[in-house]
Formats: sequence, structure tokens, C-alpha cells
Amino acid sequence: MVFSSFARRGSLFLLPILGFLALGSFIPHFLDVSNLLNVVRQSSIIGICAVGMTYVIIIKGIDLSIAGLLAFCPMVSGLLMLAGFGIVASMAAGVAAGIALGLFNGLMVARLAVPAFITTLVVGQISQGLALIVNGGRSIGAFPARYVFIGNGALLGLPVSDLILFLFLAMGYFIQRKTALGNHILALGGNETVLRQEGISAAKVQFLVFGFSGFCAAVAGLLLSAQLDTVHPTQGDAYQLDAIAACIIGGVDLAGGRGSIPMAVAGALVIGCLRNALDLLGVHPFMQNVVIGSVIILIVFLSGVVRRRTELATRGTL
Amino acid sequence: MNQTLVSMRGITKYIYGADGRPIRNTDVKILDAVDFDLAAGEVHVLVGENGAGKSTLMKILGGIIPPDGGELELAGLRVDLRDARDAREHGIAFIHQELNLCPNLDVAHNMFLGREPRRRGVKDTRAMNERSAELLRALSCDLDPRTPVARLSTAQQQLVEIAKAMSFESRVVIMDEPTASLTKREIDVLFDLIRRMRSDGLGIVYISHRFEEFLGLGDRISVLRDGRSVGSLPMSQFEPAAVIRMMAGRAIDQMYPRTHAVGAERVLEVKGLRLTPRTPPIDLTVNRGEVVGLGGLVGSGRTELAKSIFGVRPFSGGEVRYLGRRTTSWSPGRLIRAGMAFLSEDRKTEGLVLGMSIRENLSLACLKLVSRMGLVSRGLEQAQSAAFIEQLNIVARSAEQQVTTLSGGNQQKVVLGKWLATTPRLLILDEPTRGIDVGAKAQIHKLIDEIAGSGVAVLMISSELPELIGISDRIYVMREGGVIAELAAGPGLTQEKVVEYICLGTAGALTQ
Amino acid sequence: MTREPMNLRALIGRNVSLFIFLVLAVCAACFVHNFADRDNLVIILKQSAIPATACIGMTMVLMTGGIDLSLGYIVGLCSIVSGILAKSLLLPAPEVVLIVLAVGGAIGLANGLITQYMRVPAFIATLGSGYVIYGLAQIVSQGSIINRLPKPFLAIGRTDLLGLPSAVFIALGVALVFHVLISKARFGRQLRAFGFGPRAALLSGVPTARINVLVYALCGTLAGLSGMLFTIRVNAAQPNMGGGVFTFEVVTAAIVGGTSLFGGIGSVAGSILGVLSIKIIENCINLLGVSYHLYLAVQGAIILVAIIFGNMTNRRA
Repeated sequence: MVFSSFARRGSLFLLPILGFLALGSFIPHFLDVSNLLNVVRQSSIIGICAVGMTYVIIIKGIDLSIAGLLAFCPMVSGLLMLAGFGIVASMAAGVAAGIALGLFNGLMVARLAVPAFITTLVVGQISQGLALIVNGGRSIGAFPARYVFIGNGALLGLPVSDLILFLFLAMGYFIQRKTALGNHILALGGNETVLRQEGISAAKVQFLVFGFSGFCAAVAGLLLSAQLDTVHPTQGDAYQLDAIAACIIGGVDLAGGRGSIPMAVAGALVIGCLRNALDLLGVHPFMQNVVIGSVIILIVFLSGVVRRRTELATRGTL
Repeated sequence: MNQTLVSMRGITKYIYGADGRPIRNTDVKILDAVDFDLAAGEVHVLVGENGAGKSTLMKILGGIIPPDGGELELAGLRVDLRDARDAREHGIAFIHQELNLCPNLDVAHNMFLGREPRRRGVKDTRAMNERSAELLRALSCDLDPRTPVARLSTAQQQLVEIAKAMSFESRVVIMDEPTASLTKREIDVLFDLIRRMRSDGLGIVYISHRFEEFLGLGDRISVLRDGRSVGSLPMSQFEPAAVIRMMAGRAIDQMYPRTHAVGAERVLEVKGLRLTPRTPPIDLTVNRGEVVGLGGLVGSGRTELAKSIFGVRPFSGGEVRYLGRRTTSWSPGRLIRAGMAFLSEDRKTEGLVLGMSIRENLSLACLKLVSRMGLVSRGLEQAQSAAFIEQLNIVARSAEQQVTTLSGGNQQKVVLGKWLATTPRLLILDEPTRGIDVGAKAQIHKLIDEIAGSGVAVLMISSELPELIGISDRIYVMREGGVIAELAAGPGLTQEKVVEYICLGTAGALTQ
Repeated sequence: MTREPMNLRALIGRNVSLFIFLVLAVCAACFVHNFADRDNLVIILKQSAIPATACIGMTMVLMTGGIDLSLGYIVGLCSIVSGILAKSLLLPAPEVVLIVLAVGGAIGLANGLITQYMRVPAFIATLGSGYVIYGLAQIVSQGSIINRLPKPFLAIGRTDLLGLPSAVFIALGVALVFHVLISKARFGRQLRAFGFGPRAALLSGVPTARINVLVYALCGTLAGLSGMLFTIRVNAAQPNMGGGVFTFEVVTAAIVGGTSLFGGIGSVAGSILGVLSIKIIENCINLLGVSYHLYLAVQGAIILVAIIFGNMTNRRA
């Protein structure tokens, strides 16, 4: 039994690395430094969303509002910027909007026991609708240079996007490993009764986790628009499933209680590499969707099988 | 070291009705003016049958539920415990049968959940690991505190729970059937630990049914029966027969109807069935017109056996033969159509569909009978409801009433009606009279007799010994996943005899 | 909960969807200019037919406590498939109908099998399959839209009967069939039992696995029908039809119509009223000249209100 768990964890590391090298040998330009940095830059959006999503999945929830927030938050800050407000203030407003919506999700789940998938779906739709309304369905663009720099510039040789991704990775890792809250989040996903017995408010944990996911989505949205120098009202659609896929590929268990931020970010990189490789091969983006959708279902199924197999084996009593 | 740690006086707990209010004006209570004390440096064993009240009494001591009457004193001071954490603050630790740990966290994180040590604002994992290791070492356990709890054996998880409880400086430790899933060697380790806690001045309450185990461990033994304290003895005066009589020696002042005759046709035959890979094979038969009882403690496997027979629980070996056919992999639907019926002990989630009416619940298992050409016929359904409401004396305004608003007893009758409507040939009943008033109980006993009389084979699980013995033609006694005795009705079949088997197993029946 | 009084509050509580519909209709008629014109009402009916058909399927899925997030994408795939079958392959109309229904049904069946036997939670399974279907629809269409579809094909939905297009009557017929199925047939009883108490239903002999798979298959079939009717209405087959927005609209309608997210509660009549209600809102938004995008946000607000309100009157812990 020890071997199988090691094999499982080892394979999560090994397969992507092998796949990566395999892709590199077959596809021209894949291993170019400029291409790889680009891959990380593009994966950073998914990665940042995945950081927030990991905690949501750990507490047995899901966040389907990412798509909406990825459009709405940058729309808010974008419009403010174009209206003459300072970059920092505008960005802060956009991020605040994301946090507020995330906290609202948390409130619905914690206080009204609404299933996470429905509340986040609804909030996603509302924010998507708002993103379309505030500017009559039109895109906005031509932002101040300093904002665009965040998405496309480099500091010390590394793209700013990558640095932000790393920042979020560090933040997520810190919370999980270095704070009591991290322990409480895992406990909520593992055995809620025990958590409550220790006097910890499950509602507070849910509130914070969903708020954090909203925060991540907001930042990712702002970063995306900085990269594109545009806010397109439906720019978030493509990233919703990829964020979930990143977590799943990174070994975050949909049944709750298990998952690590660095692995989720690795999952995001895997998806980024995969899409990049398929792009270089000329595979249609929509075919890529077919592949990724199937992969998700497969992984969830297999991890469920493994989980049930180990449960059955360790079941000693009736 | 004779200080009295715990003094419980006159503890009473009423049965609660469907409306959430306690039923006060009755003799039947969960606990009736029970006294219980615990001294420092003693192991006090608590025994009793199912439903005797041992768990409830300890839950009150553990702060999990409040008493409806009586007083609790800890070290001489009157205390009202608010909840389990409050009890813990007062030095009471409760080690439950179902362990209270997060399987996805490691030992240290479980032990310090909610009070994670901090250093400079950040969680101090090293301190946590060190303190956990210390606490475990104090119990002679050298587990690495970084081990995920899911990878620990039951015995190890139990030690972690005990260590966690000890870390709160407990003076009182309550253990509920702690040896249920342990090997002999693990039991020895646990007993060493308990002895050490005792010599450290702790008081331990030890709930168990395994006489052979606690004989060498306990200092005192108290017996509960039907919610009342029946007696307390020092272990030196312990005599199995006497204690069994205290546990089960109630007067049976009730006549149980027995007009049915056992037929010759074998309706149900279970051969070599193993509930888990580690439990012994079970053989069991039920004939036409026969009422076979299944006795044993909660957790001995009775319900699991019933569910395995009914196709809703996978089992690890052996087979089930119903009316001569091998039905091992049949679905419940198929078994129902072949005439098997199963009344579950959990009527709220497995017996009734809450949210539907009496009428809809009654017809659920036999929809074909009340339908014409695929459409449910209101007329047939209403006739069926009216018939059962009358026959079973279900108290309700109408058949359209939602079952959630019925009393427990009436709810049970609806479930019974549902199964009778399928005209079964084998009726499996799991605690059919639990939570029902005396009058309704008598009705159901009469009904069971009549059903058997009409040729139906009945397999009945019951924790009420008088009922079990009174109605059954034969009884199987289950213990820890296997059948350890088969007893025929007659003068030799007494409550004490059944309890004897439950407490002593096969290796110590006092009289043949 | 224990009394069944015949007062106004109870009456409303038991017919919430009807109440909402009436309030909306009356307010619209009073406050929105041109709302009550015959032509406008006809438009509302025509627009309702398509989501109504799909909503019936979604209602059944919601009644089991699940969800089908791929519904809008099935609509898109079946739209382009029907276009190809009708125009490029020139198949006769009845064959097109059968094949489209079969495609929708097959996808639904896959959703059901994945959810039931692979134990993948419904929202993930249908989210993933939705992605796959969306991709397939794009690939199948090769990026193009097919218009000017053959007349016999269009006639399925455009034939004029009593002043309304046949699509409306098809939707009505489907509604009738499923109304009988859900409220009168054995299947409906078993479906409701499954939704309220899956464990009790299983132990009472209800074939829960089969029902779970079946509702997804039916939902997929009805989504396919809906997609085909949509295509006929706009005379264009395109893969982008429907989509996530359509799925959301259908879910909103079902919830406004009284379907419970926790399972067990739902009805065809309620869902139809729900569809009409939100279409009235959409219509008013159009007539008032407000941005169409407001409609999307409003739908979300409606669901929130319905959930919050439902939670307060109907706590199912």
C-alpha cells in the first residue's frame, strides 16, 4: 500500500516531466527559452485562478464564477482607468469587486447551505452580465503603459506575469503550510464534525476560502487584460474549465480534504504546455477543448476508483 | 487516592417525541434517576444491553447531551456542562467508538487542531511535532507525528485520540467499547496504558460487553437495565451469572401471541456468508411460517447481515439462497418482486421518503399493483391507503398527510404497511417496534404472529430480549460479525441465556 | 408545517410559480407599453417554445438532485448537425428529426452513465462533457454557419396553426407527454421518490441507477429537439447556438418554476410557467429599450432571490 501511494505521487511528477521532454523532442521550437517563458506567462492566468480554486475544492466546493470575474473585475478597473482614475486605485477597485463577490459566494454556501456549484454559477452569470452591461457589450482597451507593462513587461529578466504567479504560489503555500487557517481548511474538507467540535467556525472558513478564490480570479483577470491590453466581456470563458482542470491534474481531490497549491500550479503549467504544444502542432483550439474535457472526466473517475479501492482495503470493521 | 471525581445523582433523560418535546408522563424513559460515581485511580466498568442507557449516561457526562433531571458533580462541585468542549475543559475526555480524527491530516495536526502553536505569527510545525511526540511517548507509543492518520491502524488511531485527550489534562476518561477492532496484542498494550492512567490517579469509565476482558482490568462494575441502575459491585465480587441476571433478569409479564406453526419449506438459506474478509462464515435458515430472531449487540452485524441478504450490502464470501434460488447478486427491486421485504431500522432515511405523503409511501414498493398501463391509479392507491390505515390503526388526518408530521409509531406503521402491501414471502424486520408505544407494540406482535401464520417466513432483529424471545421460534445470537449460537424456543431460552452468549461468546457458556 | 390552512399564504406557497407568473403578466400589461398587444404575446409564446422544451429535461435532472451543464452545448451541436443533415446531406425531414434526437439522446446517455457508473459528480461530468461537445460542434461545423435551410425541414417548426407556429405546439405536446409521465406515471413517482430520498427509494425497489441515467438521456434528447427548433426558428444552423447562457436561462426558469435544487420537487407545469415568466421579463426589457445584457444579470438575481426565498420557506436540511 505504501508503494501504490508513492507510485501515485511519483507518477504525478514523472508523467508531466516525461511528457514535457517527449513534446520537446517532437515539436520544433517547443523548448526554446522564449517559448517556455511565454508558456509560463500564459499559464499564469490559469495558475493564479488555480491557487484560489485549490482551497475551494479542498473544502468540497467548486467555483464556477471564475469566468465571470475574469471579465467583470478588469472591466471595472479598466473603465476607471480610462476615466482618468489612478492605476493603483482602479486596480484596487477591481480586486475589491472580486473579493466582494467571492465573499458573497461564501456567505451563500455557509449561511444558506446553497450548493457551491449553483451559487458560483449564478454569481458568475451575474458578473458576466454586468461586464456586458457596463459598456454595452463592447470591449475596452488602450490602457496606460504602466498597466500594460504588468502583463507584458519583464523585471530582472523574468516576465512580470511569472513573478505574480510565483507570488501567488508562495502566498497559497504559506497559508496552507504555515498558518493555523491552512490546517482548518484541510480539516473542513476531511471531517467537518471534528472541526466543529474543536470550536472552529466552519462558516468562517468557507467565507474566507471563497473570498480568497474571488481575490485570485480578480487578480488573474486584471493580469489577463494587462497582457492583452483589452478587456473583452467574454474573455473569461476559456479559463473556467482550465482552472478546474489544473487543480485536478495537480492531484486536488474532488472529494475534498486533499490537495497542494504547488501541485495545482504545476497542473496549470501542464495545461499551458499542452495547449502550447498543440498550438505549435496546428491543432484547433476547439479540439484542445475536447481533449481537456475528456482528460478531466478520466482523472476524476480514476482517482475515485483508487480512493474507493483503498477505502475497501482499510475497512476492518463492519 | 479515594477522591470522588464524578458524582452523578438522579440523572434522568426522557424520550423525545416527533415534535421535539420530551414525553414526561410515562414510565418509559431513556434514563430514570440513575446514580453513578467514579473515584480517582479506579477503572469502573459499565455494562448493559442495547438500550440500557449506558451511552446516553456517558454522553451526559461527556457534555454531549444535557440531562433532563438530576445533578452532576465534579470533584465535589456542581457543574452544568454546556457542550463537549466544556466537558473537556473540566477534565473529561471521551474516547468514542467511531474515532474523531481527520483522516487527511497527520497525527500532530489532528492533535492540535484549533490550538496550533505559533511562533512569531506563523504556525510552529516543529513545536507541534515535538509536543505530539512527547504526548505519544507518555503512552509508550513511538509513532512519527508526521504520519497521515489515514495510514494508521485502528489501534494507533485510538492511541492518538487518547494522547490528544491526555493533552487537555484530563482526570476522567470515558471509553466506549474500545477493544472492538483491536488484536489481542493491541488490547494488551491498551490495558497497560489504562493501568498506568489508573495509577496516575485518573478515573476511567469502561463500557464493554466482553466479560473475559474486563475481569482482569476493572475495579468496580455497574449494571444498567432499561434506563435504571440495577446494581454495583466491586470486581472481586463479580460473578458472571449474577451480573447477567442483573442485566437481563426482567420479569416477562407479557404474553406474546403464538398461533402460527412452522412449515417445512425452506424459504431462506444463508451459507458461509462473510460480512467482511475477517469475520467468520454465517449459516442461517428460515422456514415458511417460522419467526427467526436475530439477537446481539448493536454493531454485532445483525443489520449488516440483513442488508447483505437484501442485496444492498456487498459481502465477502458465501451465498444467499431464497426459495431455492441463488440470489447473491440480485437487486432489491428484483428481490421485492420475488417476495422479499426488508423493514430497515432507520426509518427516516431508509424506510420513508420524507417529503411524500402516507399514500405515496405505502405504494412505493408495489407501484405495479396500483397502476394500470403504467399510470398510477388514484383509485387503487386510495383504496390501498384506506385499507392499511385501518388495518394498522395509523393515526392521521388523511392519507394525504405528509409522513414527516406523523409520530414515530405511526411512521413505523406506514413503513410496515408499505412492505405488507407487497405480499411478501420473506419479511425481514430490523427493530420493528423501536420507538413505538406499548399498545402499538402489542399490535405489531399480533400482526407478526398472523403474518407467520399465513405462511410468511419472518426474520426479526430486535434488541428487546423479552420481545425477541417471546415471538421467535428460534434465535441466532450474533457477536462481532458472526453467529455464535442457535437457540430454540423452549424453557431453556431465557434472556439470561442470550446475554450470556453475548457477553461470554462461545468460549464460556455457563450452562448448556 | 403541521397544519394545512386554506389561507392566502398557503395558497401562494403551493403555487408559487403561478403566482409569480400572474404578478409579472399583470405588471407588464399595466406598466409596459405594447406588452398586451396580440403580436407581442405571440412573440413571447414563440420565444418560449424553445427553452421550454429543454427546460422539461432539465427539470427532471434537477429533480434527481443533479444538473446538466452541457445542455446549452448539446443545443449548439444538434443545431449544426440538423443543418448538415437537412441541407448538405439533403435528408428528408423525418429522418433529420430522428437522427438529431438520437444524437442528443446519446450525449445525454453518456452524461448519465458517467454520473451514475463512473461516480463523477454531475456538475463536473457535464461541465467536462460540455466542453467536449462545444469543441465537437465547432469542428463539425468547420467554422461555418448554414443558412437557407430546406423548406420541408423548416416546416417542422414554422407551419402556421391557429396563428402560432407549429414549434409552439410541439413544445406543448412535449409538455403534455412529460406532464403525464412525471405526475401520473409510475416513472414520475419513482423519480420523485429518488429525488427526495435516494436511499429509501433504492430500498423500496426503485431502480435508482436506471432512472438516474434515463433522466440525463431524456434531457439530452429534449436539448437536441430544442436545438433543432431553434435552428428552424432563425433559419440558421450554427455551433454557437445555445451555449452556457442558454443553460443558465433554462436553470433559472426551472427554479422560478418551483424546482428544488435538492431534488424531489418539480413539475412540468411549474417549469413552463417559469419559462413564460422569464420570457416576459426579457420581453419587457426589450420593449423598455433597456440593454439586453441586463437580462443576463437579472436572471442571476432572480435565481438568487428564488434560492434565498425558497430556503426560508422550505428548509431541506
